[in-house]
Amino acid sequence: MILGNITEFAGHLHPLIVHLPIGFILLAAVFNILSYFKKYANLKPAVSVTLLIGFISAVLACIFGYILSLSGDYDPATLSHHKFSGIMLAAISGLLYFVSTERVKKEVLIPGKIFSIVLLGLIVLMSYSGHQGASLTHGSDYLTMHTLMQEVRDKPVSVQTAMIYEDVVGPILQKKCSQCHQGGKQKGNLSVESLQTLFKGGKNGPAVVAGKLNESELYKRITLDPEHKDFMPADGKPPLTKTEVQIIKWWIGQANAVQGKTIAQLKNTDAIKPKIGAYLGFNKDEGGEGEEKGFIQAVNPDIPLTADTMLIGKLRAKGLMVRMMLKKPMMLDITLPAKSGLKMADLQGELLPLAKNIIWLNLSGNNFTDSDLAILKSFTNLEKLRIEKNPVTDGVSNDLVALKHLEAVNLNETQITDLAVNNLKKNPGIKRIYTWGTAVKQVN
Amino acid sequence: MSNFHHDEEFRLHTPEFNELNKKLDRRQFLTKTSLGLGALAVGSLFGNSLFGNAPKAAAAASTGDLEADILRALPHFAPKAKRVVYLFQSGGPSQFELFDYKPKLSTMFGQNLPDSVRKGQRLTGMSANQSALPMVPSFCKFNQHGQSQTWMSELMPHTAQVVDDLCIIKSMHSEAINHDPAITFFQTGNQLPGRPSIGSWISYGLGSDNQNLPTFIVLVSKNGQKDQPLYARLWGNGFLPSRHQGVQFRAGKDPVLYLNNPDGYDGKDRKEMLEYLSKLNQLQNAAYGDPEVDARIAQYEMAYRMQTSVPEVMSTADEPDEVFEMYGPDSRDSGTYAANCLLARKLLEKDVKFVQLYHQGWDQHTNLPGGIATQCKATDQATAALIKDLKRRGLLEDTLVIWGGEFGRTVYSQGKLTANDYGRDHHPRCFTMWMAGAGVKPGITYGETDDFSYNITKDPVHVHDFQATLLHLMGIDHERLTYKFQGRRFRLTDVEGKVVSNILS
Repeated sequence: MILGNITEFAGHLHPLIVHLPIGFILLAAVFNILSYFKKYANLKPAVSVTLLIGFISAVLACIFGYILSLSGDYDPATLSHHKFSGIMLAAISGLLYFVSTERVKKEVLIPGKIFSIVLLGLIVLMSYSGHQGASLTHGSDYLTMHTLMQEVRDKPVSVQTAMIYEDVVGPILQKKCSQCHQGGKQKGNLSVESLQTLFKGGKNGPAVVAGKLNESELYKRITLDPEHKDFMPADGKPPLTKTEVQIIKWWIGQANAVQGKTIAQLKNTDAIKPKIGAYLGFNKDEGGEGEEKGFIQAVNPDIPLTADTMLIGKLRAKGLMVRMMLKKPMMLDITLPAKSGLKMADLQGELLPLAKNIIWLNLSGNNFTDSDLAILKSFTNLEKLRIEKNPVTDGVSNDLVALKHLEAVNLNETQITDLAVNNLKKNPGIKRIYTWGTAVKQVN
Repeated sequence: MSNFHHDEEFRLHTPEFNELNKKLDRRQFLTKTSLGLGALAVGSLFGNSLFGNAPKAAAAASTGDLEADILRALPHFAPKAKRVVYLFQSGGPSQFELFDYKPKLSTMFGQNLPDSVRKGQRLTGMSANQSALPMVPSFCKFNQHGQSQTWMSELMPHTAQVVDDLCIIKSMHSEAINHDPAITFFQTGNQLPGRPSIGSWISYGLGSDNQNLPTFIVLVSKNGQKDQPLYARLWGNGFLPSRHQGVQFRAGKDPVLYLNNPDGYDGKDRKEMLEYLSKLNQLQNAAYGDPEVDARIAQYEMAYRMQTSVPEVMSTADEPDEVFEMYGPDSRDSGTYAANCLLARKLLEKDVKFVQLYHQGWDQHTNLPGGIATQCKATDQATAALIKDLKRRGLLEDTLVIWGGEFGRTVYSQGKLTANDYGRDHHPRCFTMWMAGAGVKPGITYGETDDFSYNITKDPVHVHDFQATLLHLMGIDHERLTYKFQGRRFRLTDVEGKVVSNILS
């Protein structure tokens, strides 16, 4: 068991060790070329020892590389190219060192220029081997001319114009899966490179089956218990967010795993649109976090985002309780304590400029009349209003009936009658009218 | 001469204060030196230019900002509830005799609890040694009530009348099996003592809506059987600043001790005295920065305001007879559950944010039929009256009412089972509680249990889920209201809790 860990550890050292022969052999070549110039002629003896270090580190890199290759899941063709060229590189560098030692030079003298040409050939071989190695780690498309020529997709301007696979699902898979399932590294023989490879799937069957969630291995794996051994992404790599899982679920289940279609071209998109919007970053301010936790809070878009905090301070100084229900948009809950002795004229200078921010308002028990409360018609975003225990009459309902966001009105212990209730009922948004202690007969 | 000291400002550099200032205690020494060294080290790391150019950035990185940032972000959502009244039924009310109707049990009288149901569940020391676990059906009759046709026991005829306003959760479950850890878990989110209670978290996060009364008030019934103790730490502030602890109003003449002026003192210069005291405390605090001094200043001022606000809110002189009739005859006897329900309504009218009632005596290990009937008689009418009263006053709009205990009771009888007497032991795997009012769906039942009310079969709600939902209704994301203490960020729901979004209206 411990030994297993040591070999795995050694294998992981390969990407580190491999840079040593690259450096030393390159340095040997540089010394060798420079030594043709008089100024640097004294570098010539250093070529031999530099090559020796390059050779030793190349052998080490080969050993560690072999151990790493045993962990599997690499593209076999690329791997065999890398392995063969790497071993060749080590062998040739060893041979070159051998012929550059003083002892061998006495027996066989290889002309300096031939030596240099072979050394440069070695650099070419090393570049080739290095490229193959990089393709294994980062994918064969990591360093290609394709990068220069491929079209970069512009970020969609709205949810409606976003392409479901190209702009949403594809990028999710690229971000969360492609590190292990694309290009040179295709764990479980699965590639997420294209829709076709997803349909083809890996050794456990197709990753995606259009319209069938419980046959789609990909969906099954990302929705397992994170502790489960088959859960993806494996090894503690960042899992898909709830929104991402919901989008993939909808794409496979509802949208038949299509590509090349915009959201506008698809059906049954009402439920998924806000989630795609959240993923694309369109509605970040609108409770994207609540979204993650499974609830969406609908906020009236007419409420101004900010409010004059100076006015809030003034109201507080006058003894009113001003509670911020939400800061963006700025939703206020204002309570004037009962029997405050304040007149509406004392307050409207502050209340009116904040009218659109006031969502809950409590003016109960302050001896206000219908004409005092006439300013309420400007409070168009009001949802809950308490004006109980004031000498108001049926007339007040005329100012309230047009408030389209109003849900609950407390008219307890006022002088209203059934007339006011009937008037208020013309506004279907008003769901609860409290009339305890009034002449109102009907039951709400 | 007597007024001389009143006219002079206090100065820090009098000989007396100089003596005091020389006395550096261990804590101060460590704070001052370590912060100083730390600042020096950071300063030399970044060089003077960085701090010279960006003094604001350095200030923003200073300690204490984490706390300010957390509080500044509140509220996280637009709240549905402005106030909470939590009617805690201490002892573990039996779900079998109140809400969770199990008709199939009537045919299983005396049969042993099947192992397939118990699944190795641990039992308390009180019934673990029983040779048999005979199942016992409820002695109560159940009927359907209201438009929602909810099954309710005959023991709660008044609550049955308001059942269309309730959101009954039958699938609560807890982790603790004994009273102390279970009730501590419910009130603080942890079975071990030391964490802040729900009301303290809310007071800390949202502050007060009435400067003249405490934000968090606790009322303990005097007429509940004191079979299991309650402790002040259940409404304690834990590591939060002390001013957020629940203030208990006592039954009887003095609801808050020492609030009345002593005999022979008219209280006229109290305000002046407190202003000087506050100045002294502030001077002290300028040098030491101990948050407990802030708490003390705040509490003195609160106590002063409470000298007028408490007698006013405690007075029932303005309440008509009709109100007392609604809450039941006990409501005229201060300190009973009924009187506390009435008082709770008055406190909520004053916008006290969190009112918590405790009623003990629900721990019926033996003689359950008699015991639970007594409990219901003491609480049912007043509970229902509170709902009705809040509703007609329009306060149920933005008040959340919660009723529940710390766990449920077992399907099997503890002790001897006879034809008309039995007991039930503690059962944490499922029990019933209800919520009503602001932000919850009225007239619904959430969650289901099996035929033995032993295991949950649908929609389980963990204690942390309940706490998360409660905070959510108050506009707080339970994952974001945290407090750093001893190097760790703590929250009410620890590392768990999920808002039960299906019960939100």
